[in-house]
Amino acid sequence: MSANAAAPTPVLEIRGVQKHFGGLYALSGLDMEVHEGEIVSVIGPNGAGKSTLFNVITGIYEPDDGDVLYGGASIVGLRPHQVVKLGIARTFQNVRLFANMTILENAMVGQHCRSHGGLFGSILRTPGVRAEEQRIRERAETALAFFGRRLVGYRLDQPAFSLSYANRRRLEMARAMATDPTMILLDEPTAGMNPRETLELRDHIVRMRDEVGLTVIVIEHDMRVVKGVSDRVIACDYGQKIAEGTYDEVAHDERVIEAYLGTKAD
Amino acid sequence: MGRLVRAGLAAGAVTIFLALVGLIERFKDLELVGSQITLSLLFLVLPPFVAGYVVGRPRVERGERREVTRNEALTWGAIAGAVSGALVGAATVFADAFGIDRIRAVFIQATSGLIEILTFGLTPVVGALVLVALSAVAGALGGGLHLLPARIRRPVVSAVTAVLLLGFLQRIVPVALAELNLADEWLYFHAGGLTWFGAAVVAAAAVGISILRDRQGSQIRARLSFGGNGSGREGMDLGRLIALAVIVALLLAIPQLLGTVISDVLGSVMVFILLGLGLNIVVGYAGLLDLGYVAFFAFGAYTTGILTGGNLNSFQGITKPVVSADLNFYLAIPVVVVLAALVGVLIGAPVLRLRGDYLALVTLGLGEMVTVLVASPWLTPLVGGPSGMRDVSDAAIGNISFRDPKSFYYLALAFVLLALFVSRRLYGSRIGRAWTAMREDEQTADAMGISTTSYKLLAFAMGGAIGSLGGALFAVKIGSLTPASFEVLVSIQVLGIVILGGLGSLPGVVVGALVLVGLPGVLREFEEYRLLAYGAALVAVMVLRPQGLVPNVRRSRELQEEEVAQDAWAAGSPDEEAPAVETAAT
Repeated sequence: MSANAAAPTPVLEIRGVQKHFGGLYALSGLDMEVHEGEIVSVIGPNGAGKSTLFNVITGIYEPDDGDVLYGGASIVGLRPHQVVKLGIARTFQNVRLFANMTILENAMVGQHCRSHGGLFGSILRTPGVRAEEQRIRERAETALAFFGRRLVGYRLDQPAFSLSYANRRRLEMARAMATDPTMILLDEPTAGMNPRETLELRDHIVRMRDEVGLTVIVIEHDMRVVKGVSDRVIACDYGQKIAEGTYDEVAHDERVIEAYLGTKAD
Repeated sequence: MGRLVRAGLAAGAVTIFLALVGLIERFKDLELVGSQITLSLLFLVLPPFVAGYVVGRPRVERGERREVTRNEALTWGAIAGAVSGALVGAATVFADAFGIDRIRAVFIQATSGLIEILTFGLTPVVGALVLVALSAVAGALGGGLHLLPARIRRPVVSAVTAVLLLGFLQRIVPVALAELNLADEWLYFHAGGLTWFGAAVVAAAAVGISILRDRQGSQIRARLSFGGNGSGREGMDLGRLIALAVIVALLLAIPQLLGTVISDVLGSVMVFILLGLGLNIVVGYAGLLDLGYVAFFAFGAYTTGILTGGNLNSFQGITKPVVSADLNFYLAIPVVVVLAALVGVLIGAPVLRLRGDYLALVTLGLGEMVTVLVASPWLTPLVGGPSGMRDVSDAAIGNISFRDPKSFYYLALAFVLLALFVSRRLYGSRIGRAWTAMREDEQTADAMGISTTSYKLLAFAMGGAIGSLGGALFAVKIGSLTPASFEVLVSIQVLGIVILGGLGSLPGVVVGALVLVGLPGVLREFEEYRLLAYGAALVAVMVLRPQGLVPNVRRSRELQEEEVAQDAWAAGSPDEEAPAVETAAT
C-alpha cells in the first residue's frame, strides 16, 4: 500500500502536533495518518520524538499545539485511561509490568476498562460480578494465549518479575491486547530480544492485524522487522516527519539515509 | 576473634542499657519460675545468650557455607558471653568505685539496688567475676543451641519459651483460671511465678505439642509430594471446617473465659484492628502513605456522639451540641460511615497529585489539623472543645449495654468481622486489582485503563469508612470524648500496626494490633516502658522480617524480587529455545 493510495478517512490523524520540554522540541509540527488495518512503522534516530509521539497519542502528554483525531474526534486532553477505553492500547519502551502481580493478573488488569463491577457488587460478589470476573479471566487467558504456550499453563500464577526479558515484552503486549483495543502502539517491541525471538515477533505483529484485526503502529529500530511488517514507514527526525512511503521508498530517501541509516541501506 | 568481641561488647552494651533505663532493677521481684528465676535475671543472661547464638551460627565464607564444630560453637559462645559479662562487670565495678550517687545525677535509674543485683550481693570485684562466669555460660548455651539437631532444638526452644511466657503472664492466666473455677495452686505461686512443678508440666506439654506439630508437618509435606488428589483435598476441607468451628467457638467464648480485664484490652485491640484495616486499604492496598489517619478516628467518634445524643461539658453545665440528633446507635452508624467516606474523598481530593514523601507530609498536616480543630473554640459548640463530649450512646440493644467490656467485645467482634469481610472481598475483586496495579506503577495503571483518580479517592473513602467504625466503637466503649484521645500519635500507632503485621495483610493487621495494643494492655507492669518496647519491636521486625509478621504474598515477593531475578538470570532461562541460528534471519 503506498502513501498516495486513495483511502477512506484515516482512523488516526495527527495534525501539526508540537510538544516541547523547556527549549527542547520533541515534536515540532508532526503530521501523520493511520488507516484501519494498517501496520505503520515509525523510525528515526534516538531523540527523534517517536516515544513522545506515543505519549501524546495515549494522553500521557498533552500537545502544546496541534490536534490528534481518533475516529474523526479529537482525543487531545483525554486522560490515558480514557484513551485506552476508546481502543488505543500501548506498550512501553522500557517494559513496564506490574512486577509483583502474577502473569494472569497483569493481563486481567488490561480488561479493567471493559468491566464495570462496582463497590457493592464486589463486596457482595453478586452473580453479575462473578460472571464478569469469569469473563475477565477468560479474556485475559485468550490474550495470553496469543503468544502460544509461553505465558500460559503453570506460568499464569507466577509473578511477572520471574519472566525472561523477551517474555516480559510478550506479556506487556498481551496485557495491551487484553484491553480489547482496535489499535495497538508498540514501542520498540524487539529491543533486547535475540535474533530468533525478533523474527518470531515479526510474525506476531502481522498476526495482530490478520487474526485479531488490530491497526498497528510500531516504533522499531530493527530494519528486518520494519521491512517485514510495514505497510507504510514514516521516518522522523527532530520531531518532524522527514519521509513516508513503503519501506523501499523510505530506505532510499536521501534525508532518511542521512539522518538515520547512515551510508548503508540494505 | 574480633567478631566474638564485637558481639560480646554489643550484648554488654544492651545489658548496661537495660540496667540504666531501670528495667533490671524494676523487675527484680517479678518471679517467673520459682523464686529463683526473675525477669531481672532473664534480662541479665539474655543478651550474652543471644550473642553466643549469633556467633555460633553457620556462616558463609568465600561463597561456601561453613559449619561450626562443637568446640567452636561452645568456645565462641562462651567468649562472646564472657566479653559481655566483663563489660557489664567492669561498668559495675567502676560505678561502685566512682560513686553510684554521682552517676545517678545523670542516669536516674542507677541505684545502689541495681549495683546489688549486678553484683549478686557480693563485693563488686567478686560479683563481676560471677557475672562474667554466668554470661560465659549463657553465651556457651547460645552457641551450643546450634549443635542440637532441629528435631530436638525446636521442642526445647518451645518448652523454654512457653515456660517463660506463662511465668510472664502470671497476672492474667491465674485470673482466667479462677474465672473457670480451676485450681491453679499447683501451677502458680500466690502472686508469683510458676511453681517448679508447674513449669515442668508446661515444658512437657510444649515439647509434646512441638513434636506433634513437626510430625504433622512432615505428613502434610508427604501428602503434597504425592500430588493433591481429590479425596485428600476433601479431607483437608473438613479439617478446615472443624478448625473454623473451633476458632469461632473460641472467639465467642473468650470474654467468658478470660474475664473483664482481658475483654477490655481486647476491646481496645479491636478498635485498633478496625483502624488498621482501614489504613491497610489506603497504605497496603492502594500504596498511599497516609499519616493523618487519626482524622477518621476522630470523625467517627465525634459524629457518633453527635448523632446519638451526646452532651457537651461546658461552662453553662451540660449542653447539647449545636447540631444534635438522638438516633439509635445502629441507625447512626450507616450515616457515620457514609459521611466518613465523603470526608475521605474531601481529604483525598487535594492530595491526589502527591506521592510518597509529599503525600505523607501533607496528610500528616491534615491529621494534626483535626487534633487542633476538635480542641478549637471554633468547633467547641459542636464537639465541646478541650472539655469534650459526654453521654455518648452505649449502643444498647434492649437492656444489654455495650459499655460493659464483656458485651462490648461482641459488638467490636461483629464490626471487625464485617470490616475483614469487606476488605477481603474488595482485595479479591477488580477494584483490588486496580489498587494493586496502581500501587505497583501508577502511570502504567493509568495507561492500562485504570482511572487512578477514582481509585485513589475510593481508597481514601473506604479507608475512611472503616476507620470511622473504629472511632464509633471507641465512642461507645468509653462514652465520653476529649481531644486528648485523638493525637497524631494514633496515626503513627496504627501505621505501626499495619507495617508490623505486614502491609496488605489482613491477618497481619490483627496480629499487629494484638502485639502493639494488646500486649501493652495486658502487661500493665511495663506501662512506663511501653514506647521503648514499641520502638524495639518495630526496629526488630523491620530488620529481621521486613515483610511483616504475617506478610502479604505479594509484599514478600517484592522483597525477594531482586534475589529471584538474579537467580533466574544466573540459571539462564531453561524454557527459552536455543539461541537463534543466523541463517534463520535471511
